[in-house]
Amino acid sequence: MAIDDRPGITIPNRIEDLPTSQARFIGRTVDRVEDPMLLTGRAEFIDNLSFPGMLHCAILRSPHAHARVVSIDIAEASRAPGVLAVLTGEDCQRWSQPTPTVPEGWGTYCLATDKVRFVGEPVVAIAATNRYLAEDALELITVEYEELPPIVDATKAADANAPLVFEDKGSNVMLQRVFTWGDVDGAFAAAAHVFTETFRWHRLGANPIETFGVISQWDPIENALTCHGSFQSQYHMALARSIVLGLPSNKVRLMSQPHGGSFGGKGGARGTDITALLSRKIGGRPVKWIEDRMEYLAGGSSQSWDRHYEASLALDANGTVTGFKVKLLDDLGATAEGWGAVSAAKPLAAFTGCYAIPVAQYDLTIVATNKLPGSPYRGMGPPPHNFVLESLMDIAARELGIDPADLRRRNYIPKDQFPYTIASGNEYDSGDYDLALDTVLEMSDYQKLRAEQAAARAEGRLLGIGLVNTIEPGVFDWNAYAIVGQPGTGVPEGATVSIDVFGKINVKVGFSLEGQGQYTVLTQVLADYFGVELTDVRVVPCDTLSAPPHFGPGGSRLGVSITGAALGAADLLRQKLIKVAAGLLQTEPANVELMDGKLQITGVPGAEIPLAQVAGAMIARSDLLPPGVDPNAEATYAWTATGRTPADDQGRAKSYLTAANACHVVLVEVDRETGHVEILKYFIADDCGTRLNPANVEGMTQGGVAQGVGAALLEEYCYNEDGQLLTSTFMDYLLPSVYEVPMTEKKALVTPSPFTPLGAKGVGEGAMHTTPAAILCAINDAVAHLGVRATAVPASPHRLWTLLQDAKPGG
Amino acid sequence: MKPPPFEYTAPTSIPEVVALLQEHDFEAKILAGGQSLMPLLNMRLARPSILIDVARIPDLDYIRATDGSIAIGAMTRQRSVELADTVRTSHPLLYATTMHIAHPQNRNQGTLGGSIAHADPAAEYPALALLLDAEMRAVGPDGERTITATDFFITYLTTSLEAAEVLTEVRLPLLPPRTGWSIQELTRRHGDYALAGVMATITLDGGGQCTEARLVLFGVGATPIRASNAEQMLIGTKPGQTEFVAAAAKASGDLDEPLSDVHASAEYRRDLARVLTRRALAEATANAAGAA
Amino acid sequence: MATPRTITLSVNGTTHQVTVEPRTTLVDLLRGDLGLTGTHVGCEHGVCGACTILWNGKAVRSCIMLAVQADGSEVTTVESMAQDGELHPIQQAFMEAHGLQCGFCTPGFLMSISELLTRSPDPTDEEIKDTLGGQICRCTGYQSIFTAVRLAIKKLADARAAGGSA
Repeated sequence: MAIDDRPGITIPNRIEDLPTSQARFIGRTVDRVEDPMLLTGRAEFIDNLSFPGMLHCAILRSPHAHARVVSIDIAEASRAPGVLAVLTGEDCQRWSQPTPTVPEGWGTYCLATDKVRFVGEPVVAIAATNRYLAEDALELITVEYEELPPIVDATKAADANAPLVFEDKGSNVMLQRVFTWGDVDGAFAAAAHVFTETFRWHRLGANPIETFGVISQWDPIENALTCHGSFQSQYHMALARSIVLGLPSNKVRLMSQPHGGSFGGKGGARGTDITALLSRKIGGRPVKWIEDRMEYLAGGSSQSWDRHYEASLALDANGTVTGFKVKLLDDLGATAEGWGAVSAAKPLAAFTGCYAIPVAQYDLTIVATNKLPGSPYRGMGPPPHNFVLESLMDIAARELGIDPADLRRRNYIPKDQFPYTIASGNEYDSGDYDLALDTVLEMSDYQKLRAEQAAARAEGRLLGIGLVNTIEPGVFDWNAYAIVGQPGTGVPEGATVSIDVFGKINVKVGFSLEGQGQYTVLTQVLADYFGVELTDVRVVPCDTLSAPPHFGPGGSRLGVSITGAALGAADLLRQKLIKVAAGLLQTEPANVELMDGKLQITGVPGAEIPLAQVAGAMIARSDLLPPGVDPNAEATYAWTATGRTPADDQGRAKSYLTAANACHVVLVEVDRETGHVEILKYFIADDCGTRLNPANVEGMTQGGVAQGVGAALLEEYCYNEDGQLLTSTFMDYLLPSVYEVPMTEKKALVTPSPFTPLGAKGVGEGAMHTTPAAILCAINDAVAHLGVRATAVPASPHRLWTLLQDAKPGG
Repeated sequence: MKPPPFEYTAPTSIPEVVALLQEHDFEAKILAGGQSLMPLLNMRLARPSILIDVARIPDLDYIRATDGSIAIGAMTRQRSVELADTVRTSHPLLYATTMHIAHPQNRNQGTLGGSIAHADPAAEYPALALLLDAEMRAVGPDGERTITATDFFITYLTTSLEAAEVLTEVRLPLLPPRTGWSIQELTRRHGDYALAGVMATITLDGGGQCTEARLVLFGVGATPIRASNAEQMLIGTKPGQTEFVAAAAKASGDLDEPLSDVHASAEYRRDLARVLTRRALAEATANAAGAA
Repeated sequence: MATPRTITLSVNGTTHQVTVEPRTTLVDLLRGDLGLTGTHVGCEHGVCGACTILWNGKAVRSCIMLAVQADGSEVTTVESMAQDGELHPIQQAFMEAHGLQCGFCTPGFLMSISELLTRSPDPTDEEIKDTLGGQICRCTGYQSIFTAVRLAIKKLADARAAGGSA
C-alpha cells in the first residue's frame, strides 16, 4: 500500500513496501549517527563557535515588573574597558519594528522603550571584547524608572481598575471567545450526573540544559544579516527577523547549530534582534550572546502554561460521558511574543482525549500580566488540559463507584470507528485504546496493586494508583492554532537527496541536531531505500537560504515529515535513475526497478547495474545517457500532510495528522504528615504506530516521564505580588534528578497510521501529556477517602500538607 | 553570570592569612571549597575586593582520631571525610551526615571547615557540630582559641569568628556507647538543602533508660537549633512513642518563627520539625537499643 | 582591573602556562583560552553538572571553580576519552544504550562516571545513583543512562580481563 500525495510520487505506508527485500535498519534500534560527535564533545553547539573580531553581548534587564522608563544614562558604560557599543530602545525604534505576535499586536521592541512590562525585560545591551567586561559595564548604566502598579494576578487582569500592560489596548484581555461544538447545554441539562471542579496549573517550562545562544553579523554594505544560533525553527525565525529588522527576506541568513535540547523553549527572537542591531551599530563585527541560566529563567523562553481552569463533565446513568466543558483563563504574561498562545489552541486537536464525547465547549480567555511572556513547551497545552479531563474522569468514577479503568473503557472510541472525528473537529487516524488499557493493566498487575493499596491503608499508609490514558496529536499543522490568530494550513518539510559518483548519499535538510535522533531516522530510511550502509548516508544541515522548504522539529512532527520528505525525494530520484538505467540496459524504463541498491530489469536475474554506476553515468558520461534525461542525480521533495482543512468559525479543522495513544499506571505513596510524594512503580503501554527507531521512541517516552514528574511535583515559577520572580536559580526551580524520576516498565503497541509514511505517528510529547495527570490522579486516589482533593500542579509537599490539614480525622 | 573583579592570593601559612584578613578587614573573603561562595560570586551577590584561597596551606587537610573525638582540618574535603575508613568505622553519624550533603561532585570540592564557617542554617555540618558540642579551633591576631558550637553559630550565615580569625580545625566527639542516632530531612529533591531537618542521638543505659538525648533542628531558623527542653523531657524515661510525641511537640513549639520561603511557610516548617523530630527520636532510640 | 596571575596546569596530559584574571572560572579558561569546548556550561551556579571535569581525578563543577584554584593541578576533560579513533568504553556504552539525546549534558556525565568507575569498578546501584544524582539531564529521564553505566562496567571489566588497560 502506498500513500500517493501527488501524482507520480509513491511514498510507502509500510516498511515492507520499500525497494528492498529486507529492511535492515528502519524499524530497528540502531546506534545513532549523531552520537560519536556528541560523546566526544565535538558537536558545534553555538557557544563553541567563534569568529574573528567577535564581540560579546551582555544585557541589562528590568528589576521592575511594571515601570515607566524615565531616562537611561549610558555615558559611563560606553567608556568602560572593552566596550564597543551600547544599544538602547532608541536604536531599536530607529532600526526595527516591534516583534510580530499571536494574537497580533501584543509585541514590543527587543529593548524597552517607553516602559518595562516584566522583571527581566531587556533594557540596554552592551557589546564588549569579552563577557566579563560586558557585565562589568552593565553596572555603570543608570536607568531611572517610575514604578507603576503591576498586574500579577490573572484573575484580576480583566478588572476595570486593573493596571494595563498595554495602555493603547485599553484592556489586558488578549483574546476571549467561547467555542461550542454541538448541543452542549442540552447535554448538560439531560445529564444524570454533572461533575465540576476548578484546577490550577502553575507556570513551569522547558529548561533545556543549553540555554539560547546566537552570533549575529550585520553586513553594512549589502545590508544583510547572518546569524548562527540554537534556533529550533530557523526558517520562521528568519522570516520574523526580516520583518522586525526591515530586511528583504533573502538578505537574512540563519543557520541553526546543534542545540542542547529545546522542548519548545529555546526562543531567541529578542537575543537575535539585539545582537543583530549591536552588530549593525558597530559596523558589522560579529556579536555573540549566550543567554545565562538566570537570564533564561527570568527572561528567556522558559515559562509556560499559567492556567486557571473550571471544567465540567456530564454523564448519563450508565456512566457514558455525554458532554465536556472547559473554561480556561490563560495568563500569557506581558506580551504574546513567544507563541505561547498557541498552547491554548492545541487542545482542540484532542480535546476529548480517548473518549467518544459527542459535544464539548471551550470558554477561552487569554490575559496579559506583568510576568515573563509565555512560551511553548513540550506538549504545547494538552498536558494541563489532560490533567483536567483525566482528573474529572477519576472524580466521576469515584463518585459513581466505578473503577477508573472501567469508566474509561466504557467511553473509549471503538477501534472500528477510525478515522474518527472528535467534537472539536480533528480527525484521529487510528487506534486501539482497549488494547493499551488491557496491556498496562496486565503489566502492572492492577488488581494486585489495588490489594497492595488496601493493605497499606490498613497500616495507615496512603498509597494511590493513577491510571490515565491520553492522545498525543502528532504532525502539527498551523490550522490547529487558528483560534488564537495563527494563519496558514500545511507545514512543508523538505529534503534534497543526492547520490554521488561513488554511490554515497547526501541529504540536505533545514534543521540541526536537537536530541530526537532525526538524522539517524533519515539515515535509516535512505540506507534501506537505496540498499546502502548507514555510513554511506550523510545528513547535511543547511541554512535558511540553501535548505529546501523546512520548519524543523516541533509539534511531534519531524520524524513523520522528514521520513515523508526523504521518501518523496528518494522516489523522484529513483525515477530518474530508472530512466538512465533503462538506457544503459537498453530496455524500457517500465522494465527497470530499484531493488537492494541496484537498478535491475524486473524478472531477469543478472541484468542489473549498481547505483553508483548509474549516478556516475549521470555525472560523467553524458554520452551514454538517453536523450532528455536530467543528469542531476539529485531530487528535492517537500512533504506536507494532505487533507488538512482550514478551521471553521468554531475553530474546527482536520489539523494534526496522527493520534498516538498511551496508557500509564503509576503507584505513589503520599506521606500524610509531610505531604511528600514518592513514586513507587510506573508502567506504560503506548502506541505510536510504526516505530522507526524503537530506542528513540523509548528515550523520548522516558524523557517525557521525567519532565512530567517535574511538572507534577517539582517545577514552578513563583512570582510575588510585586511581580518579582522568586525562583530565579536552579536552586529554586527544581529539575528532577535520577532520584525523583522512576525507572519505568514500558510496552510498545503498534497500530500503524493509514495516512503516513511507513505508518509512523508523531511521537515525543506523549509522556509529557500523560505523566502529570497520572501522578495527580494517583495522589487523589491516595487521599480521596480523607475528603480532600488535589487540584493544583505541582503537588508540592507544602501544597499537599496544607490540603491534608483539612483531612477527615482518622481517615 | 561572570564574577566581578577581585584580587586573589593564596597564602601558605595561617599567620599570613590572619595578616591578610587584618589588612583587608571585611573586604576580604576566605575561599575554601567555594561551593557556596562561587555561585554568589557568579551572581555578583558577593563582592569581596580580595579572595584568600586557603587551599595552599599545608596541614589543614587531615582526619585524626584522637581521644574521644575526630579532629578534622578545616580544608579537609567533604569527600575525604566520606571516604575515610576511620570515619566510617568510628563515627558513622559523621559519615551519614556527609552523605546528606549535596552530591559527590560538590563534596569533592566542598570542605568541612568551609561549610561550618559559612554557617548556612540548613546545612548538615553546622547541625552536626551543634549536636555533638563540637569544638572549633580558630586562629586570629591574638593567637589560637577554641570555640564551642553553642557559641559559634550566631545567626544566618554569621559565626562568632572575628573578622581576622580563620577556622583551622573542627573536633567532633565520638558517640558514647549504647547511643543511637538519626538524621531526618525533608527535601524536595535529593541532595538539596532540607526544608527542615533533624538530627538526634539517644543514649540508653542497660535497662533501656535514656541517659542522654541530643536533638538539633536545622533549616528552620537562623542557625541550627538545639532543642534542649525536649532533650530534658526524654532523659530518665524509657522513651517510647508517647515521649517522642511529647518531645517533638516541645521541640517544634519552642521554635521562634521559623523561616518562610517559596518552598515552605513558617507554619509548615514548624510542623515538619515536629514530625521529623518524632521520627528521629524513634529511629535513634531503636538504634540505641540495637547498639546496646 | 585585578592583577592577572600566571598559572601552570596540566590538561589531558598537556602542560599549559596561562595568564588569567583571578575571576576567570576554570570552565571559561578551558573553553576559551585552551579551546577545549567539549566541557559545556549549563547553569554557572553549580547545580546542573554540565561543566563537570576531573580535577586531580575528582569530578568537580568547573563553573564554580576559579582557574587560579587549578594552578599546579591535573585537569581531565571529555576530550581525553576517545583514543586512537576509538570511543572510550564508557562512551561506547552510552552510544549502545542510547544514554544521550541532545548530548549537551553528556560530557559532564561521562566525567562523573569515569571518576566513579575508576574508584569503584563494581559499584552498587546506590553508588551509581549517588554519582548520577549530581548531574541533570533534561532529555533522557536517566533510565538509559543508568543502563549505560551498567554496560560500561561490563565493558571495562571485559577489557581488564582481556588484559587491556581501558
